[in-house]
Amino acid sequence: MKIKSLYILGIAALIGVGCKKSFLDVNTNPNSLPSATPAFVIANALNVTSTNMVGLNELGSYWSGQWTQSNGYILATTYFSYVFTNGDFNYWDGFYDNLEDYQYVINGADGAGQPYFKGPAKVMKAFVYQHLVDLYGNVPFTEALKGSAVLAPKFDDQKAVYESLITLIDDGMNDIKNNAFESAYASSDIMFKGSQSKWLQFANSLKLRILNHQSRISGRDGYIVAEVNKIVSSGAGWLSTTDAGLNPGYVAAAGQLNPVYNNWGYSETGAKRANNNFPRLTQFLVNSLKATNDTFRLKRYGYANGGENGSNPGVSVNAEVITNYTGVPFGISSGFLPAGCCALGPSLLVKGELGRPYVIMTAAETLLSLAELKQRFPAVTLSGTAQSYYEDGVRQAFRLVGSSTTNANTLLASGVDNCDFTASTNKLSAIAYQKWLALCNFNGVEAWTEYRKTRLPNTPQSVQVVNSDRPLRLFYPLTEFGSNGANVSAQGTIDVFKTKIFWDVN
Amino acid sequence: MMKIVSTMFAMLLCFSMVATAQVRVVTGTVKDDKGAPVPNASVRVKGATTAVVADNQGNFRISADENASLVFSAVGFGEIEQKVGKSAVFNVSLAKTVSELDGVVVTAQGLRKKAKEIGYSYARVTTDEVNVGRSPQLAQALSGKVSGLAVYNVNNSVDPSVKLVLRGYRSLTGNNDALIVLDGMQTTNTVLATINPNDVEDVIVLKGGQAAALYGSAGINGALVITTKKGTKGRLKVNYSNATNFDEISFLPQFQDKFGNGSQYYPYVFGQAGYSSDYLVRMRENWRSYENQQYGDQYDGSARIVGRIINAQGDKLVIPYSAIPNARRKSFDRGVSVNNQVSFQGGDETSSFYMSLENQKIAGIIPNDRAQRSGARFNAKKEYGKVTAAFNLSFVQADYDRTTADFYNDIINTASHIPLNDMRDWRANKFANPNGYFNDYYNNPYFNAETNRARYKDANIQGTTEITYRMLPWLSFYNRLGVMNNSRTQKNIQEQFLYSGYAKNTAYIPAPWQHDDDYPGIYRAITDQLGGVTDASSTENVVNNEFQANIEKNVGDFTNRLVLGYSVYQRQTKSISISSGSIVVPGVYNIANRQGNLAGSETTTKERKYGYYADLTTTWKGYLSLNGTFRYDATSRFYKADRSSDLYTYPYYGAALAFVVTDAFPQIKSKTLSYLKLKGSYNKNGNDNVSLYGLDLTYPNGSGFPFGNTVGLSVGNTLPDGNLKPEFVTSIEGGLEVQLFKNKVSLELTAYNQDSKGQVITVKIPNSTGFSNLLINVGQTKNWGYEADLRVQIINKSKLRWDASVKYSYNDNKVIDLYPGINEFQYGGYSYASTNVIKGMRFPILKTNGYNYAPDGSGMRQVNATTGYPLLNSSLVSRGGTLARDILGLGSRLVYNDFSFSFNFEYRGGGVMYSDLGRQMTFTGSGKWTENRAPQIFANSYYVDAAGKATPNTTVQVRETEYALWVNNYRLISENFVNPNWFIKLRDVNISYNLPASLIKKTKIFSGAQVAVYGRNLFTIIDKMNFYTDPEFSFTAGNGLGINNTGQTPPVRQYGINVNFQF
Repeated sequence: MKIKSLYILGIAALIGVGCKKSFLDVNTNPNSLPSATPAFVIANALNVTSTNMVGLNELGSYWSGQWTQSNGYILATTYFSYVFTNGDFNYWDGFYDNLEDYQYVINGADGAGQPYFKGPAKVMKAFVYQHLVDLYGNVPFTEALKGSAVLAPKFDDQKAVYESLITLIDDGMNDIKNNAFESAYASSDIMFKGSQSKWLQFANSLKLRILNHQSRISGRDGYIVAEVNKIVSSGAGWLSTTDAGLNPGYVAAAGQLNPVYNNWGYSETGAKRANNNFPRLTQFLVNSLKATNDTFRLKRYGYANGGENGSNPGVSVNAEVITNYTGVPFGISSGFLPAGCCALGPSLLVKGELGRPYVIMTAAETLLSLAELKQRFPAVTLSGTAQSYYEDGVRQAFRLVGSSTTNANTLLASGVDNCDFTASTNKLSAIAYQKWLALCNFNGVEAWTEYRKTRLPNTPQSVQVVNSDRPLRLFYPLTEFGSNGANVSAQGTIDVFKTKIFWDVN
Repeated sequence: MMKIVSTMFAMLLCFSMVATAQVRVVTGTVKDDKGAPVPNASVRVKGATTAVVADNQGNFRISADENASLVFSAVGFGEIEQKVGKSAVFNVSLAKTVSELDGVVVTAQGLRKKAKEIGYSYARVTTDEVNVGRSPQLAQALSGKVSGLAVYNVNNSVDPSVKLVLRGYRSLTGNNDALIVLDGMQTTNTVLATINPNDVEDVIVLKGGQAAALYGSAGINGALVITTKKGTKGRLKVNYSNATNFDEISFLPQFQDKFGNGSQYYPYVFGQAGYSSDYLVRMRENWRSYENQQYGDQYDGSARIVGRIINAQGDKLVIPYSAIPNARRKSFDRGVSVNNQVSFQGGDETSSFYMSLENQKIAGIIPNDRAQRSGARFNAKKEYGKVTAAFNLSFVQADYDRTTADFYNDIINTASHIPLNDMRDWRANKFANPNGYFNDYYNNPYFNAETNRARYKDANIQGTTEITYRMLPWLSFYNRLGVMNNSRTQKNIQEQFLYSGYAKNTAYIPAPWQHDDDYPGIYRAITDQLGGVTDASSTENVVNNEFQANIEKNVGDFTNRLVLGYSVYQRQTKSISISSGSIVVPGVYNIANRQGNLAGSETTTKERKYGYYADLTTTWKGYLSLNGTFRYDATSRFYKADRSSDLYTYPYYGAALAFVVTDAFPQIKSKTLSYLKLKGSYNKNGNDNVSLYGLDLTYPNGSGFPFGNTVGLSVGNTLPDGNLKPEFVTSIEGGLEVQLFKNKVSLELTAYNQDSKGQVITVKIPNSTGFSNLLINVGQTKNWGYEADLRVQIINKSKLRWDASVKYSYNDNKVIDLYPGINEFQYGGYSYASTNVIKGMRFPILKTNGYNYAPDGSGMRQVNATTGYPLLNSSLVSRGGTLARDILGLGSRLVYNDFSFSFNFEYRGGGVMYSDLGRQMTFTGSGKWTENRAPQIFANSYYVDAAGKATPNTTVQVRETEYALWVNNYRLISENFVNPNWFIKLRDVNISYNLPASLIKKTKIFSGAQVAVYGRNLFTIIDKMNFYTDPEFSFTAGNGLGINNTGQTPPVRQYGINVNFQF
């Protein structure tokens, strides 16, 4: 019996030589970082904001009638027949994912000793929200981005969100003014390299865009005028000769090219992307430019039929004469094979120029917004005239696409309606048309927004659609509907052809 | 003493008296059905008390009357009766009985238990059953042979992937695959591809719940306990075997062979001036020489150009415009595989060993796809008094060379008049070369297949060492250390191909085949293939140690056995990959030979677990057994230094009861009922089903970062709940085993229910929270089923034996609960067809878009009132579960003298599948279902008239049947490609012949020889509306089974010949 208990003791001892807790201490992720700092997060957030714009700008370029597709493949019915559901065009998820990164910077900048990132993050947050409202109307704002604290964020009224954005930008501008960048971290600011003044200009341009979107709402004049006057009196100015473009350091490597170049242009090794075959300038765009003799810009927006000459970058394969520029009727599904019409031109794509900054907002747009604001609300304290802002805007638009001031001046003095301000019968329509052109190739989504706001210019309906319905917004995405159903349903039934964004008063 | 002697003398006298009258002495050997001696068999004279026991070699000697019958029997074998007659030498062969009641079964953690004592369900598959079809892979060989086991052959290639699921799914998003245990060691699925099925002695399938509880959370999905051969006592036995088999496509999707290449090129839009109302006119205009789609005009045998003028010399390929019979089938190769192996085994009273060498070469049905496996195994055991030491070691090397191109898709994008089979030599044949190949959109399939390769080499070493110390008769200790090391080195290459200037810019279509919208240059030539190389290596290392103390003590009528165990498990993986998207010097595949930057990644993981367990089996009077288990686990997956220990450690337990009614009440035994056992078990098991490092919110590198020195990080998207802990599965199981008609019929019935609570699932949360997913313990599922195993010995004569078995299982599951407010989430798939988890339904559920059906329930499908095209209802509607609910296996074996014939069928059904292949083939116009291109009214349709009334459609014709109906409408309605997923397959069949001993003896080399012909999946029956492919195929081996596409090559049948020699 004694021996027996000894054995049992022995077994117990053996089993008892169990593991210490530290044996299990191997659960720290060796593959992904467990913490971050605002400097690193904002660098990526800025880059994601630009890559998020690529698909959205493509959509906008189609729906504003600037681009369509060649017939090298089946046209997507989502784009050209407007057959789409809440499973299509989900920009929402990407935007909120991006916003979370900005929110992380806003929340953590002070604690991490990097307060100078707080202001830019706020301005960028407003930038992303502006797009969300323009695409979806009411969106979660006050309860959003709170992680597990609020798992079903309620939606805020779109107009209130728009107003909050102005406040948010003001707040961000104060932060920018009060916290100079530490030069060691300036490289994390892949947009303005730590330039306070440029951030302030960008912030003001964004405010002008937001205000201008609301300019056709009746009874909104007082608010808009007051806000514009605040911008004027801030003295920080706006983007007037430079654009807001960002560049994380594009190089010739997979995944590190300018995203537009990568998508529609060439690979890191210079092989033409198959996607290069698809986007084509519309017949309306090409013919409008021909009709107004704006051939300077036509040759920048598109390459002559046949596309870019790979061995002579920036130059078309075929002679760059007007007859070689063919536009494609919007949405047509046959008769325009890739080589028979205008591919995206050198203003956007030149082989080898893979390191151009990704432009998210232009001086031309800002100036043309000022022209419109001044034209609509003479009471604003802007120092220039609608005409001077208009003409500066057109000059900037020429600069943007790589054409000269001389050419711009020729157009401005051409006596042609919608080009020459003085000769234009309807100043607002001239501004709208020039803005539409200024946004072409660079900011399709803003062009679509402007179209929805003004219904100008009068671009033709898609060949594939029999009625006159055009999409005026997007559906709330399936992902949000599936996980935040009650709040989405509370927004009512969405009809993409009828449910308008609040600034769309047509 | 004197008394005994006299009694013996009397008996002797008695015997000799009988002998002198009519009794003869008979000698002989008792062997089993494979010719191995049956030791200690009993031989008795029927109706008399005379009986002897054969020796260890099966030799016996008995005296019997000429008219008497001898009855031969042995434990585990069926009885055989034979007339004595005139013959003096009997060589009797006994068949193993279907009943293994007295046998010992290896259960979880290597514990040996008597079959009678086991209160839960298990199955044993023996080496013979495994090797019927000579499958080179173990997993496939188990299909249909075990009730409750579903073997999903999700892909088909020279490196096929399989998924083994026991009793269906429990976990929504976690792992549902059965644990693989090899010679006692917990390993991973890797083993299934590397083990030589011939080395397998048996596979014990522990179906789940209590059966596998001792494996801890690893056993939550049941376990396959594979035991390899250990060698037998006796002289050295050498076995050589060669199997050569052929793979042939068993079926292809249904193709049309009426229309050649073309697409929607007809220049006029409906209603426009010039638009022709004759579809034949429009079809002719749709024909193009360079099209991948097959919507041209009907084949008419006219001479037409294929592609373009391909060079300055004006070379062109002009061939008859008519279909080549079986063009697609001929594009594939016939696969050949050759397997050679030799094994040695032997042993004496205290030791035994088994050694095998194997080489297997496979050439697949896709040209140039190859695989090779070479392996060796050495198992040995030695006893020294109280100590027994054993080890098992295997190492396997395997090479694979496969294409990464979608060969199948390239094939279906080729019209049936193209002589594809002549396009194999793309280097020499100018029309097969990319510079001259006709198709503007899809390159030559052979070019793509040959220039895009994945080449990888696996090296696997797996071994266990075991030591047992029998300290006292009632106490022994056992320790087993197992290690598995897998490594893979891989190089993926893409060959460089730069198009000629002529192909890019000049190649043109000459008269009379040209059209106005033609353009010079081959469309696909705009993008050169710059080549590339990816170099990757990965390793997996598993260490598993089990220590056990065994205490056996009988008290009165109780036999007791207690096992105390301690288990440690560690798994580490590491994979590194670097790649370059271009190469500079053609043909040199090294990342040094590149332009631009390298891309690369690294993943390292390590996980650890330990557990203590106890298993007590108490049997009362041999017929009532209670088995209780308890286990306490700790897992690193839930460990953090600051977390409370109840979040990462968890106890669980279970009990099983077995009651042998026929032993307790022998009076109920009859000629009909020989055996009845009732069994039941309850078990609660913990499961650490969280992805590795799932507790951390991470900050991964942003896409593209770092750009030079600019670092960019992103806040991760999955937010882990702070209180994550293991999930728990409660299983109850009950059943009975019955044997009838002297054990000739055996039936086992089992019912079970598994309730899985607090599942760790990734819940989709609104992206507006800033995160997309929340990892939390919320899901609850239920999983239940029935299993029936029937085995019948139809004939059991010495020369003729025939038995059959039927295995049926039904399994279903249900999602009881998800996260509040969340009713469903998606596993994956396409935007128009996906597999989902939906609350209140079985999972996974296939959802697709579909038709708008008439509100009156008539099943009529809405068409556009003007164009006649069917309307798409874009909302995704549930089409049913994708898992097979019913699985039925039917097997039989017939032995007559030296011939034997066996086969196994499997039926599976009760679910649905979606074939994206169907959508692809509708796009290309290669599917037979697109063949009706004449004007028509869309069948069984209605439209909504101007007054808003649903009206049966007898008038509105489809506007353009020759193209738009199919590509722009029918194709987009995914419901068209949903089908029932049932099938019947002849899994394996084998006819073998043992060469006669007399012949073998003459050779003086061999001691035995067999030759066999066999086949696998020789025929498959599927639903008549399933035009597409094998329902087993799936684009993923994850939980979201049920969707197939061109990534899975067509199903094959295999047949071959096998020769076996024993020395």
